[in-house]
Amino acid sequence: MARQYEEVTVRGYDEFMKAVSQRKGKDVFAYFSGSKNEQGISWCPDCVKAEPIVRGELGYLPPGSVFIYCQVGERSYWKDPNNEFKKTLKLSGVPTLLRYGTPQKLVEEECFKKDLVRMMFTED
Amino acid sequence: MAALCKWRHRLKPAVFFQNAARRQLSDKHDYDLLVIGGGSGGLACSKEAAQFGKKVAVLDYVESSPKGTKWGLGGTCVNVGCIPKKLMHQAALLGGAVKDAQKYGWRIPSPITHDWLTMAPAVQDYIRSLNWGHRVQLQDKKVKYLNLKGSLMDGHTVRAVSKTGKESVFTAGNIVIATGGRPKYPTHIPGSLEYGISSDDIFWLKESPGKTLVVGASYVALECAGFLTGIGLDTSVMVRSIPLRGFDQQIACLVTDYMGSYGTKFHWKCSPSKVEKLETGRLLVSWTDLDSGKEDQDTFDTVLWAVGRTPETRALNLEKVGVKMNRETGKIIVSADEATSVPHIYAIGDIAEGRPELTPTAIQAGKLLARRLFGKSSELMDYDCVPTTVFTPLEYGSVGLSEEEAVRRHGEDGIEVFHAFYKPLEFTVAERDASQCYIKMVCLREGAQRILGFHFTGPNAGEVTQGFALAIKCGATYTQLMAAVGIHPTSAEEIIKLNITKRSGLDPTVTGC
Repeated sequence: MARQYEEVTVRGYDEFMKAVSQRKGKDVFAYFSGSKNEQGISWCPDCVKAEPIVRGELGYLPPGSVFIYCQVGERSYWKDPNNEFKKTLKLSGVPTLLRYGTPQKLVEEECFKKDLVRMMFTED
Repeated sequence: MAALCKWRHRLKPAVFFQNAARRQLSDKHDYDLLVIGGGSGGLACSKEAAQFGKKVAVLDYVESSPKGTKWGLGGTCVNVGCIPKKLMHQAALLGGAVKDAQKYGWRIPSPITHDWLTMAPAVQDYIRSLNWGHRVQLQDKKVKYLNLKGSLMDGHTVRAVSKTGKESVFTAGNIVIATGGRPKYPTHIPGSLEYGISSDDIFWLKESPGKTLVVGASYVALECAGFLTGIGLDTSVMVRSIPLRGFDQQIACLVTDYMGSYGTKFHWKCSPSKVEKLETGRLLVSWTDLDSGKEDQDTFDTVLWAVGRTPETRALNLEKVGVKMNRETGKIIVSADEATSVPHIYAIGDIAEGRPELTPTAIQAGKLLARRLFGKSSELMDYDCVPTTVFTPLEYGSVGLSEEEAVRRHGEDGIEVFHAFYKPLEFTVAERDASQCYIKMVCLREGAQRILGFHFTGPNAGEVTQGFALAIKCGATYTQLMAAVGIHPTSAEEIIKLNITKRSGLDPTVTGC
């Protein structure tokens, strides 16, 4: 079955904001993860755990929506309380799954719960 | 599709009776608990019940206001009550604080102005985050949430309708009605419905309300008029008789006196006769002075009706099912355990007769009800000595009896009233008028002099009152108060230091340190 949503992969804050600004008016869902190394493994163990769960629910995304997969950066960048994600996007932890422009978000362990992920994708 | 629906409806009665018979035999319901209303009481009750492993569902549905305002999960408190009210009250207080700041040395460019378009969206965003938070909590605690309008079909059956009109039927072992109330419109006044708004709308306005007339003298009216004045809007209040009915009247007058001296205009003993819309889009309000009979008029940008609230019972089908209501108030009659006249149907929160219209009591009652239904508890909600605070520009915190009520119960000779006018230290350098900052403790006259009622006007009244509410609930006496030590320098310490009685006739103004 054809995918009903657009998936975008970005690295870092600037790329993320650019992707968002190019998709004005769309229902944008974003998943923030600690960056993956050359072996494809993130330094953030919760992100490693949550990713397959979140990906498992992508089929429930509303048609026409956008899913942005964003690698935030290295652990040292993330730990800095003044990084742009924390300061401007007000992220408090990774992984974070949010619906851009709304207060809907799931943080850390909440991302492990597939029914919460599905709820965000399917409810208004 | 329409044909199918018709067929289903025709079949319904036959299937319904069959189901009813089957239900009596089997005892298998869709849910152990079905709550109608996702506000303070409903959410607390459902979440508590789910902790016991019970199958619980909440039906929450918001009928839009006449002006078209709608909101999400959480009820009145979260969306159109306590939360936005307190935030906007804070916005107004900050305006005052910025002015005071100049006396404390801050160089602030003047004049300072307020932007509704910055405040309102920020408040609304916070409310939306609470809607989401409640949604996540329900899901997390395995409570089924349905955005449907519920009504009763019988003692164990609820009909639920979606916003598109799609119907479903659910059965439940127990039903809790927690649908709360909505603002009343004075529909006998021409133009009231078409041109006026209510507290349901004020917090969600996309533009500043501008010059506003608030009709009413309830705490809703005074709190709204208070913050509107505080953010710099031309605000008037029209009062038919007395302010804050049900509250201690001496204090109510101090509250309105303060508002008057800070810029709110009052039209006492007046009643609006009609509201018309002018070509400019502004509203022309005509009213009658009830004492002189004189007519008067003025133009406003907004008319806010705050003349009371009606319980949300009309659409519940209560009479058919036999749930008894108080004919005068329209609220559901409940016994001490929140039970209605129909077994397994309960009512909590604003919808229940005789209960305080407050969030904390609804929450507590909901939790205790769930524990009685599904836990092994027999604890009933204690509605005695519930503290409250009115968040007018001069805040008013109270717990227990008003002076009038204490006199009614014990006679004037049976009580002793200790009181004091005090000046918050912060007001001194700021050169603020503290004439209405007042404390009153109504006590029994004899013995250790148990405290019957506590009243405090001043900044942070809610924070000050909370601790004293516990003391009074524990039966604190004036003797114990005298033995306690105050914290210095605070306004609250003046409560501990109360020593002048009304009976003595002495000047109750607190003098220096």
